[in-house]
Amino acid sequence: MKKFEWLIFGLLILLMFIGIISIYTASSTKIEDDFLFANYFIKQFIWIIISMIILLLLLKAPNAMIDISIIPIYIITILLLILVLFLPEIKGSHRWISLNLINFQPSELAKLFTIMVISKLISKPFLSNGQILLRSFIVTLIPVALILLEPDLGTASIFFVILFSILIVSDLPKFYLILIISPILSIIFSFSFWIFIVYILLLIYILYRSNLDKVIMGFIVSVNTFIFFITPIFWNGLKDYQQNRILTFINPMRDPFGAGYQIIQSKIAIGSGGIFGKGFLMGTQKNMNFLPEHHTDFIFSVIGEEFGFFGCAFILLIYFLFLYKIAKSIIKIKRKEYRYVSVGILAYITFQIFINIGMNIGIVPTTGIPLPFISYGGSNLLINVTAIGFILKYLNERSIFA
Amino acid sequence: MYKKITISDYPGYVIAFIFFILLFFVFKLQVIESGKFKNIAEKNIVRIQTIYPTRGEIYDRKYRPIALNIPSYNLYITPGKIVNKEKVSGFVSKHFDKEIDEIKKIIYENRYRSYQDILLIQNIPFEKMVKTSEQFNYYPSLLFKAEKVRGYYFANHFTGYTGRITEEEYRTLREKGYSINSNIGKTGLEKYYENILRGKNGQQVLQVDASGNNLDFFKHNLQIAPQNGDDLILTIDNDLQEYVSSIFPKNKKGSIVVMNIKTGGILAYVSKPDFDPNLFTGGISAKHWNELITNPNKPMLDRVIHGTYPPGSVYKPIMASLGLQEGIIDSKTKLAKCDGGMWFGNRYFKCWLKTGHGSLAIEDAIKYSCDVYFYDLSTRFSLEQINRYTKQNYLSTRTGIDLPGERKGFFPSRKWYIDNYGKYVGILGHKVNLAIGQGEILVTPLQICAYYSAIGNDGIWRRPHLLDKRIEAEQTFKNYVEQKHLPMSEETLRLIQNSLYATVNEKYGTGTAASIGGIKVYGKTGSAENHMGKITHSWFSGYAKCDKFEIGFDVFVENGGHGGSVSAPIARKLINYYYGIME
Repeated sequence: MKKFEWLIFGLLILLMFIGIISIYTASSTKIEDDFLFANYFIKQFIWIIISMIILLLLLKAPNAMIDISIIPIYIITILLLILVLFLPEIKGSHRWISLNLINFQPSELAKLFTIMVISKLISKPFLSNGQILLRSFIVTLIPVALILLEPDLGTASIFFVILFSILIVSDLPKFYLILIISPILSIIFSFSFWIFIVYILLLIYILYRSNLDKVIMGFIVSVNTFIFFITPIFWNGLKDYQQNRILTFINPMRDPFGAGYQIIQSKIAIGSGGIFGKGFLMGTQKNMNFLPEHHTDFIFSVIGEEFGFFGCAFILLIYFLFLYKIAKSIIKIKRKEYRYVSVGILAYITFQIFINIGMNIGIVPTTGIPLPFISYGGSNLLINVTAIGFILKYLNERSIFA
Repeated sequence: MYKKITISDYPGYVIAFIFFILLFFVFKLQVIESGKFKNIAEKNIVRIQTIYPTRGEIYDRKYRPIALNIPSYNLYITPGKIVNKEKVSGFVSKHFDKEIDEIKKIIYENRYRSYQDILLIQNIPFEKMVKTSEQFNYYPSLLFKAEKVRGYYFANHFTGYTGRITEEEYRTLREKGYSINSNIGKTGLEKYYENILRGKNGQQVLQVDASGNNLDFFKHNLQIAPQNGDDLILTIDNDLQEYVSSIFPKNKKGSIVVMNIKTGGILAYVSKPDFDPNLFTGGISAKHWNELITNPNKPMLDRVIHGTYPPGSVYKPIMASLGLQEGIIDSKTKLAKCDGGMWFGNRYFKCWLKTGHGSLAIEDAIKYSCDVYFYDLSTRFSLEQINRYTKQNYLSTRTGIDLPGERKGFFPSRKWYIDNYGKYVGILGHKVNLAIGQGEILVTPLQICAYYSAIGNDGIWRRPHLLDKRIEAEQTFKNYVEQKHLPMSEETLRLIQNSLYATVNEKYGTGTAASIGGIKVYGKTGSAENHMGKITHSWFSGYAKCDKFEIGFDVFVENGGHGGSVSAPIARKLINYYYGIME
């Protein structure tokens, strides 16, 4: 029996509709009593149509065809990530391949196909824990390393969320996840000797309580201690501007003329919207051009200013229903590989929403991550819709593989 | 009924938790702290202000001002605050002498920059500001700012002028920190040294509310100071410059260049008629602009480097030194006898002296400027030979002066004749003509000045230049230090120098009107026929030496008459004057 998830599809359409309205107002300018509109909302509409066609084709495409093309596409993506490093800089980094119609980011494609390839490789039967870890890490670290060279810290961090989310639902015993998390925590805590001591003691306690093999325990503790010693050396080896870039990523307020300023302006726009907002098209902060990206990365600030707390809460609710419904449904997918892919995509969409809105309200670092389905941008929309397309496809066909 | 939590519930819980956090912070911003942010938004408190650098000033060799920044009141408009576009444009047009359509055009071009102040009028007199500002209650979009504008001390062509950045320039230059209100060097030194004069923008974050309380969003780096532009010190001597400008014949067109023959530094640079660069400060009015560009005398044309003219007889020393270098002639060789002209095929080429000069050697041929001697000389060379040698003497090639848009001048080649006349016909006639600086040859007055200065500097050619050094960096420009030797031997050089001396100082020399007791003046006259009128262009170029100075000069009067009677006396005056001020 085939069953199409109309609720998920309907909410997706609703989100894109909200996107069109938001882009329309975000790219308008008020002068005297007239409004001037840039044509972004028309372009976005065309991209939505294109995305829908791709979605339809995807749903009809035979699984075998998709299965054989995953790894070749992944390899092409890696090649594109290498290519992009040799292209001229746009806005200070090598992220975009500039085509006539759109600026395309290979890292967008990399996210989706990293999910697919990890899932494919670790869902094979009779794999040892070590094999699962090794395969998933290699597949993740190749694009991460290339993206860090661009440099794009924000996008690189998404890959760890993807990896973590897939491993957590995989057959891998949960304590292995400590292997992923503990080095990251070690890097963070290595800046303070006493906090690190407390942390390492806590780690030993948890490992001890998990009844782990003594050898593995020793390995984890020594790896973390090694990281504690190596991090300051690595840090001091960085150039000033590289250190600044990382420090500004962590604390945007260090850069009052750049990232910090954008966050302040975004908070002012959202905060000044109040409970009911200033009304459709009536936002004032967007007119001042404080935020250069207000129809892309900072579109949430325009929504917050014009539609107020009710508008924001409504959008958060739509997102929540959409993601919650997906979360509830995909657990029922029987085939391991498809389940892993769906979880990876769910985590990746959720994380993007969290990072983007969090950036707009000033609680997470500024990154160039747009708001899924709402922000203006063709390639991003296409990838996100395609990702949801895969989930819809797997849900659609789950009975066949039950 | 109790339901056990399973692994399948975790994603849902995680998502719920994430959205709870987001909702909480949105609530905090929009409900709890909303009042504070509304206030900041309304008053436009937190914003980045660009601090513009002060443009470098321009001084003469003795640090006397040429172009300075002068305090001025400027009128700005904020498009977002316009109540009625018609009324406000009408008001500005009525009081500030600017076409209403121009004002509307500015407003239209800046319609997207609704909350930026856009510069409308510069340099408003204080009284006018006081008078009009009383009515600003009706026009909330207008405001005055006290700023600085460029002021020039005298009319000239070399400083150029600054002007309001155009929409097109802004689009390409905004990355470099130009604002829509920036002034930018449009011509002359202002354009050539734009990067040095301009300096670097600073920035400042404003985060102070109405009562002066710091909002404390940022703790550090609230200001990046601007770097002011470097001042330029020129090689120009203001006294000489103004004197030279004053002695140029009234109602005539032309140019005078004076330079230090040792360094190539230009002491005076005059092109007539000239215009007041102050007209351009703050945007030239349509009326003045039309006057300037429709004037048949072309006051905007910098005749020193943008005008190209036939050199006439001032070209002859180059022909002479070619003959000497190639061993065709020596100091005693006499060429064809001049009886007022010479036949070439079926064409008769006249000498300027109808009665003829008789048979002459090189020194007298230059002194009397005998055409026939050079006609005959030219027949001994191929056109390409003459072409090449002319270029080697830095004619028909750019001198490389530090000004934009210098012209190259022209010397025809065999190929040029074939391209333009179909085939290579009558070349003998062309060549004969070119030998006396007539025909297709074109030079700029600066090239001639540089050539004669090089003769005066014992054959060492120096690149003419205006910039002496930058004040801030105390940096002298290296490329002006290079020395190039004219392609001539010591012997040839002495012979040319002696001829030029004879021209001015011996009886019946064509340039005797320039001779001064106590100063050794060397020079050559030129009276070039041209298509611009019946009267010849008047040239006198050379150099003067005494114990106080060594200068090269070129005096050029368009359709002025004879070099010896028009330009030579001017040269005499300027040398005399310079002798007087070099105490």
